[in-house]
Amino acid sequence: MIEATNLTKRYGKKIAVDGISFTVQPGKVTGFLGPNGAGKSTTMRMIVGLDRPTHGHVTVNGRPYAQHRSPLTEVGALLEAKAVHTGRSASNHLRALAATHGIGQKRVDEVIEMTGLQTVARKRVGGFSLGMGQRLGIAVALLGDPRTLILDEPVNGLDPEGVLWVRTLVRYLASEGRTVFISSHLMSEMALTADNVIVIGRGRIIADASVTDIVARSAGTTVVVRSPQATQLVELMRSPAVTVTSSEPGLVEITGSTAQAIGEAAAAAQIVLHELTPVKGSLEDAYMSLTADSIEYHSTSAAEHPFAATGTVPQEQAR
Amino acid sequence: MSTLTTASATPTTGTSASPYHVTFPNVLRSEWIKFWTLRSTIWTIGTAILMMAGFGFLTVFFTAQAIKQNIGADRGGPPAGILHDPSVILVGSIMAQLAVAVLGVLVITGEYSTGMFRSTLTAVPKRLPALWAKALVLTVVTALTAVVAIALSWLVTLPTMRANDAALDLGDAQTQRILFGGVLYLVGIALLAFAIGALLRHSAAALATVLGLLLVVENVFAAIPATFFRTVSPFLPSTAGQRITSTQASIDQAREAAKAAGRTAAVLDPWQGYGVMMLWVVVLLAVAAVLLRRRDA
Repeated sequence: MIEATNLTKRYGKKIAVDGISFTVQPGKVTGFLGPNGAGKSTTMRMIVGLDRPTHGHVTVNGRPYAQHRSPLTEVGALLEAKAVHTGRSASNHLRALAATHGIGQKRVDEVIEMTGLQTVARKRVGGFSLGMGQRLGIAVALLGDPRTLILDEPVNGLDPEGVLWVRTLVRYLASEGRTVFISSHLMSEMALTADNVIVIGRGRIIADASVTDIVARSAGTTVVVRSPQATQLVELMRSPAVTVTSSEPGLVEITGSTAQAIGEAAAAAQIVLHELTPVKGSLEDAYMSLTADSIEYHSTSAAEHPFAATGTVPQEQAR
Repeated sequence: MSTLTTASATPTTGTSASPYHVTFPNVLRSEWIKFWTLRSTIWTIGTAILMMAGFGFLTVFFTAQAIKQNIGADRGGPPAGILHDPSVILVGSIMAQLAVAVLGVLVITGEYSTGMFRSTLTAVPKRLPALWAKALVLTVVTALTAVVAIALSWLVTLPTMRANDAALDLGDAQTQRILFGGVLYLVGIALLAFAIGALLRHSAAALATVLGLLLVVENVFAAIPATFFRTVSPFLPSTAGQRITSTQASIDQAREAAKAAGRTAAVLDPWQGYGVMMLWVVVLLAVAAVLLRRRDA
């Protein structure tokens, strides 16, 4: 269980995290979503005491992280993939961290096996790929068999097999009653992995609810309607809450109403319908509409700059 | 390829009764493992030993040659009686101290520059135990390195010293103090470098500061003939610390020379000098500790 109260972090004049309060429940996977620079990593660093909050406080399993006698068995954290000395081997890295808690070689070997690092464990970390670095970070997080896991972008750099493995792993750990808090900017991944989602933008919480609630609430359902009398139907449905788009004659997409309301309106006016399909919004759509105002680094439209979509979004701030 | 086999402990709410705890001996063991699992640390230790013994041998050997050929100080040769000053086997510490300083800096900045320190602090969130454990490991390793280096220097110079009737009298109190002082001096340099590394957190900045201090600043201060620099110079960390390896005779000589020239600059006694060096170390470490507690990692 993680409880944050009015958590605030200010770097000079810039507010990274702006008075957020939230609770991460045990037994569930809680996703932490937000665009780059929204404050996800800063929040996670404050949870494990690396950054000192400017205001507010955060506790893990009832206490500030630093006050636990055995921090690694309370919280396993993957904060940055390579918080590792590049000159040391993976196995020695784990051995050194395990030693701080008196955790033995047996557990070190266990986590190496769990994360599939056996073949590279004796190699120096400097030569690791991003994916191997992530696996090592996850191995560190699992070292103390912790009750709470905090994973910052764990699937970054993993291959599809690795992504599936992380998803299965965190679902399994949550099913054992552990608290799992996992950040990502990949909505599709969170839709598959998380039970609850906390959406953050510009340091503030935009939404904190279950995945299904968020999808239902914010995306607004779109209904695809095919009718020879589409124009007449659109006239009937016209209202400030409804938007209508049309890509071909006789086919309209109506957002802001429901299939039921449209069907009834059509029947009352004796309009023939060939198709009436509610299209369920995805978490991705929900997220885009939620965070549209709070994206720190906008990409210029791809039409203006062909490389803009991938080229201008800066990396999440390093620290 | 990846299997799910977590250990049996099933989490419950409330505070867990974990058998694992962060204790200082555990943190010390962790730092000990970290120290010996990097190549850079082992290289610097080897370099320090090689420098001490190598320069000791070269100096003593060629000094003896010069004496044999009757080349005195007036003709560019070694000053008379230099082989009878026990600190002659420590001449290599001028070079060895650089290796030890690099070691002291890298022990801490190596973790900052790679991000490793965040892993360390996540495991030891009270932070200070990690700093003290590092300092303790560094102290022990540097002391052992210095003992080996000085013993080796003594060994390789022994035949030449004997031939010149200058073999060290290991039973002599001053000789013991000088040899032991050679160890203490290198430990002091290592801790000074460590503290500066902990303050500056960047390898390049800390190395430049420490080496600049040892190689440039202290020499420049000693060389400028102005009252301010003359007054401050004896209290700079390396200058003060080196007193611990000086013979009483050379200190007395320096005092008389200063008096004859009408200068008021202090000439510190061996232990006074080392005390001043340790004061630098303690103050810098204390500032580093306060900042470590306060700063974001």
